[in-house]
Amino acid sequence: MLVLQGVSKTYPGAASRTVLAGIDLALASGEYVAIMGESGVGKSTLLNLIAGLERPDRGSILFDGQEISALPDDAATLLRRRAMGFVFQAFHVLPHLSVARNVALPLLLNGIGKRRMRERVAAGLAAVGLAGRGESMPRQLSGGELQRVAIARAIVHRPSLLLVDEPTGNLDSDTAGKILRLLRDQLHASGAAGILVTHSLAAARTAERILRLTPTGLEPHADSDREE
Amino acid sequence: MNKRGWLALLALAGLTAFAAAPDYPPVLPGRPLSFPRDHGAHPEYRIEWWYVTGWLDTGSGEPLGFQVTFFRSRPNLAQGQPSRFAPNQLLFAHAALSDPTLGHLLHEQRSARAGFGLAEAETGDTDVHIDDWSLRRGADGPYRIRIGGREMQIDLSLKPTQPVLPQGDGGYSRKGPQAGEASYYYSQPHLEVSGTVARDGRKQGVRGTAWLDHEWSTAMLPKNAVGWDWIGINLDDGGALMAFRIRDGDGRSLWTHASHRRADGGQAAIAGKPVTLAPIRFWRSPRTGARYPVAMHFAAGGLAFDLVPLQDDQELDARSSTGNVYWEGAVTALSGGQPLGRGYMELTGYYLPLGL
Amino acid sequence: MLFSELRTHTARSAMAIVAIAIGVAMAYAVHLINESATGEFERTVRSLMGNADLEIRGTEAGFSESVYPLVARLAEVGTASPSVAVEARLSGRADPLKIVGVDVFRAAAVQPGLIGRPEGGRAGALPLLEDDAIFLSPVALRWLGAKPGDPLHVQVGLETRTLRIRGTLAATGEGLRLGVMDIGAAQSCFERLGMLQQIDLSLRPGTDAEAFRARLSRLLPAGVFVSTPAETVRRSSDLSRAYRVNLTVLALVALFTGAFLVFSSQALAVMRRRGQFALLRVLGLRQGELLRLILAEAALQGALGACLGLGLGYLVAGATLAWAGSDLGAGYFKGVAPQVHFDAAAALLFGLLGLASAVLGSVAPAVEAARASPAQALRAGDEAAAPRGLRSVAPGIVAIAAGAALSFLPPIDDVPIAGYLAIALLLTGGIALVPRLARVLFARLPDSRHVPLHLASTQLSGSPGRAAIGLAGILASFSLMVAMAIMVASFRTSFDQWLTVALPADLYLRAGSAGDTAYFSPADQRNIAATPGLQRVEFQRSLPVSLDPERPPVMLIGRSIDAADPASRLALVGTPRHPRSGEPPPVWVSEAMVDLYGYALGQQVFLPLGGRRVAVTVAGVWRDYARQQGAVVIERQDLARFTGDETANDAALWLLPGSGLAATEQWLRQRLANGDRVVYSSPGEIRARSLKIFDRSFAVTYLLEAVAIVIGLAGIAVSFGGQALARTREFGMLRHIGVSRAQIGAMLALEGALLAMLGVAAGLILGGAVALILVRVVNPQSFHWTMNMSLPWQLISTVAIVLVAASAATATWAGRRAMATGAVRAVREDW
Repeated sequence: MLVLQGVSKTYPGAASRTVLAGIDLALASGEYVAIMGESGVGKSTLLNLIAGLERPDRGSILFDGQEISALPDDAATLLRRRAMGFVFQAFHVLPHLSVARNVALPLLLNGIGKRRMRERVAAGLAAVGLAGRGESMPRQLSGGELQRVAIARAIVHRPSLLLVDEPTGNLDSDTAGKILRLLRDQLHASGAAGILVTHSLAAARTAERILRLTPTGLEPHADSDREE
Repeated sequence: MNKRGWLALLALAGLTAFAAAPDYPPVLPGRPLSFPRDHGAHPEYRIEWWYVTGWLDTGSGEPLGFQVTFFRSRPNLAQGQPSRFAPNQLLFAHAALSDPTLGHLLHEQRSARAGFGLAEAETGDTDVHIDDWSLRRGADGPYRIRIGGREMQIDLSLKPTQPVLPQGDGGYSRKGPQAGEASYYYSQPHLEVSGTVARDGRKQGVRGTAWLDHEWSTAMLPKNAVGWDWIGINLDDGGALMAFRIRDGDGRSLWTHASHRRADGGQAAIAGKPVTLAPIRFWRSPRTGARYPVAMHFAAGGLAFDLVPLQDDQELDARSSTGNVYWEGAVTALSGGQPLGRGYMELTGYYLPLGL
Repeated sequence: MLFSELRTHTARSAMAIVAIAIGVAMAYAVHLINESATGEFERTVRSLMGNADLEIRGTEAGFSESVYPLVARLAEVGTASPSVAVEARLSGRADPLKIVGVDVFRAAAVQPGLIGRPEGGRAGALPLLEDDAIFLSPVALRWLGAKPGDPLHVQVGLETRTLRIRGTLAATGEGLRLGVMDIGAAQSCFERLGMLQQIDLSLRPGTDAEAFRARLSRLLPAGVFVSTPAETVRRSSDLSRAYRVNLTVLALVALFTGAFLVFSSQALAVMRRRGQFALLRVLGLRQGELLRLILAEAALQGALGACLGLGLGYLVAGATLAWAGSDLGAGYFKGVAPQVHFDAAAALLFGLLGLASAVLGSVAPAVEAARASPAQALRAGDEAAAPRGLRSVAPGIVAIAAGAALSFLPPIDDVPIAGYLAIALLLTGGIALVPRLARVLFARLPDSRHVPLHLASTQLSGSPGRAAIGLAGILASFSLMVAMAIMVASFRTSFDQWLTVALPADLYLRAGSAGDTAYFSPADQRNIAATPGLQRVEFQRSLPVSLDPERPPVMLIGRSIDAADPASRLALVGTPRHPRSGEPPPVWVSEAMVDLYGYALGQQVFLPLGGRRVAVTVAGVWRDYARQQGAVVIERQDLARFTGDETANDAALWLLPGSGLAATEQWLRQRLANGDRVVYSSPGEIRARSLKIFDRSFAVTYLLEAVAIVIGLAGIAVSFGGQALARTREFGMLRHIGVSRAQIGAMLALEGALLAMLGVAAGLILGGAVALILVRVVNPQSFHWTMNMSLPWQLISTVAIVLVAASAATATWAGRRAMATGAVRAVREDW
């Protein structure tokens, strides 16, 4: 469903900086891949390119056969809205919205009817273990709970691709484990493909496949080969 | 005759000596003085003054000179102005005390337009006042002077002891070669003074002798006159001597006159004789720089004496009222070191010439 | 760190600095303008009065000169210096010249400044006494463009008299426009025989001035008063005090809005920098140190703003004085041409006020930041917490209640202090309540399915603290604007209606456009009455009368009034009283007479007329916008009977149908002796001129309205600019989950618009309340006249719409950064 071929990205400026060079990646539906890499190697940029938020300098990114990098901004936005979900390191749950409203945002954007929205939000919250907490405000929640809200928001509109960026960076290891398991379970349950970007091997191991992002490209992780 | 105020008034009036406005009456001979009418003011004439000078004894042994003058001026303006404030008649007054222990004159002045009963020069008899400064003649002859100044207050009675002394030709006093250059002029010598003088709030009883001049005119000075020297001396023998000299720019006499009435009332043969007033000693004012002949030698018709000032600095600066600076001082007449009498000398035109 | 913050956020700092600068500049400029005018006025009065200990003064028409010798003879009096004074109409000039006639011999001791210096060095008093000699102050010479030796033509009655400028005045206030003549010449020239305007007294040393004054007062005829120079100065400045207080209050409002802008900019800066501050706290900075750091930053901004403002204020004051005069065209300081003097004490005061408002504006946010738990502040997503100070409702309600109560209090020392306090409390209370209002209202907004609207309304109701700042800006500025607009509109409408009643005739004649030396003699009046095609003619005589030495004179107006129907000529307030037989003649008094002198309908009062106390009956109260010090209308025949004055200043002509205005005027010009000197006006011209003067004197309020609006919008810009930074991650997240740029833009625009709409709605209510206080309390107490409320809906709704639109645009503009790609990156912690 997602194919990257020879994708390169260079940031212009005085000290022009090549972040990604010659990235090739193929992701099948329902597949869950972890991408590891050192800080600054371009993991986040890779996610932005896949999400259509940035454009590659070279190469192509096909999402369900559609060239994302060729889409105008509005079309890319619509694509994201419909087919993608996001989980961030810093949660990015809107503080002034209740938990339910945060989760409901993608449904609202996709024009889902009110009743169905309520049902799906409730289902989403239940799925992440926050049933009945919909009216809570984010500031009443712990970090782990906030990330659960974020996960619920990422899957509530049933995207076909989940982009997860260092989801446990702000969490303690115990909570992190629970969140990672939850993520994997939700991915499997929804049948969506997922890309987990992390620098933690432990986190990466929750994915089916582990790739390593280096300045020269994307390589299979040795460890994962051994495990397979 | 007492020309002291002339310079002041003429400067004030912005006149030249020969310029007489048509509606001022001329001063002509053959107008006999008539009393008490002529004690009073003559408002139709351009200028007029009552001039009192004298020596006072305060009882402390130190003599004191005093001078009180009221001027009246009828300026050539505001004709037909209907306002009661119209400046038709202006009044000025000077008062000065000469105290040798002080070293200079104590001097105050007043000026006002006549009107509202606040400042008036009445006709009929001597009654002239500016606010609380006044000179009045009582019905029976004595004068009363009241001066309420800031630094000095003077309250004097002056009792005549001799008849009125008309000057010149029965009161017609020539001042120059031209017939119009004259004034009406009479004196009251040997006035017996009693009263009080207060300085710095200290009031002293005083007694003494004074001389009063009353003179009025329209235009009296020759046009090339710059000033005059004048003396009025109460002689110890009861005689009264008056002399003046009109000077030109070079200090030469343009006109002189002297009169000497003996104690018995007879006129000494001095009138019409040449008068000498010759400087003996000069004094320079540190304030104005003017140089005055403060000691003079007098000679006329066989009478001769020296005039010695009570003190050198008897300069009077009246620039803030009549606009004039002159020397007006108590003098003693000495002959061979012997005092003959006491009186006042006036020296004008030494600071700036006439017609400034 | 202090400076680095200024450097990094130059634009935001600059805005706060500029806000303070504008506030300080306006306050300081208004102060300087007022001071220069009153200061000049005081110097003028002082130079006119010189060394006088007491001043005897009657009406402008004067009092009998027989008072002069009476007073001069009193033992306590050192010198009594009499004078006559006229506002002389000059040929070919709109403004009159004040001419004082003095007795140089008396004035020399009391008012040495009024002694002329003859040109050409002529000595002595004589040049001063010439009956056509006039001596002018340097300002008057410049104003006339004349030099010594030139003639000066003055109008007396309808005739011209020629004076000669003989020199200058010794020492008068540098701004004083004045001529001095001899008193006799002035009495004769201006036909003021037998009358004096003033006697200045110097007392003998050791005189008990108060005891003497009491004794003297009893000696003086009715309507003639004794006062000290200080009282005269005060009375003169009283005339314009209400106006000056009003201006000062407006200036302080400007300073207040500036402080408000600082507050909003600081509050947002603190919010945005919570993480930074928390980090500093974690690193070991104590609470107090952090507080001082933030306050020092504010103080730095305040100091910069204050310095800038003082300089700006000085320049503005200078320019204003040069352009409009010290009273901004209101006509309080005639004949005075003041100059700006740098006032160091006031500069310090206003500078400190600016500094203080900057620091105070930062206190709440600074305390908030210092108290915040560093751990919590470091958590992402905490920027939105509202400053705690904005959460409580009680102070707002208390302030509004107190404000409402204060508005019922009477004036203090003739100044509506309670009214101004009420307005301040109402505004602060309203602003304090508005966050709660925002939360309640926005939470009740229907849950929209429109994404931007949904986001905007949830954002507004969810972050009331954040919204409060922009909202308060809008509220403050719009309510001030509404209040001023309603007040001015009410005044203008009432003024317009009043003009209609006051100008019933077809043609108005005035003997001279300025000054009090021009009038119609009885012969002139007969000639005017003989104009063909005339239906009716009425003459009017106005003369100022002093009823109370502590107050400026009131205007006594003799005119034809039908006692049965006074409403046909006067803008009556309430019903008039029908005169009864046997009671003293009726008078109709302006509202100011009721306020200032306690006159009541039906009351019998005494007026000093012709040196006597004359009993009259108050038969009606009317509205007068022309004379705030009070006016009394009396039947003209009654006035002539009491004063013997048969002249008139004005004539009103009603024409028969078919007679043309132009033809009538033409006829009068030709047939009236000196008919060309008469000023002919139609009611339309007078109305247009009056309204023009009205608009000019209110120009400053329009300016302040504009400033208020700009400051309100700046508040929105600062608010949203700050939010945009704080909300970058939110925008980034939204972009990720599929919100388009346009939708974010729309969201911001909607936030701005919703905020402005609420601010406008609340501002309308608050502004209406403030306007009510201005119209019903402040104006009657300041100027002693009432007016009818009138709402300028068109202006208000236009401004409201513009404000909402501008607010939306400003919000979008401020948030434009959020729509850039940078925002997308902000959600990531890494490359």
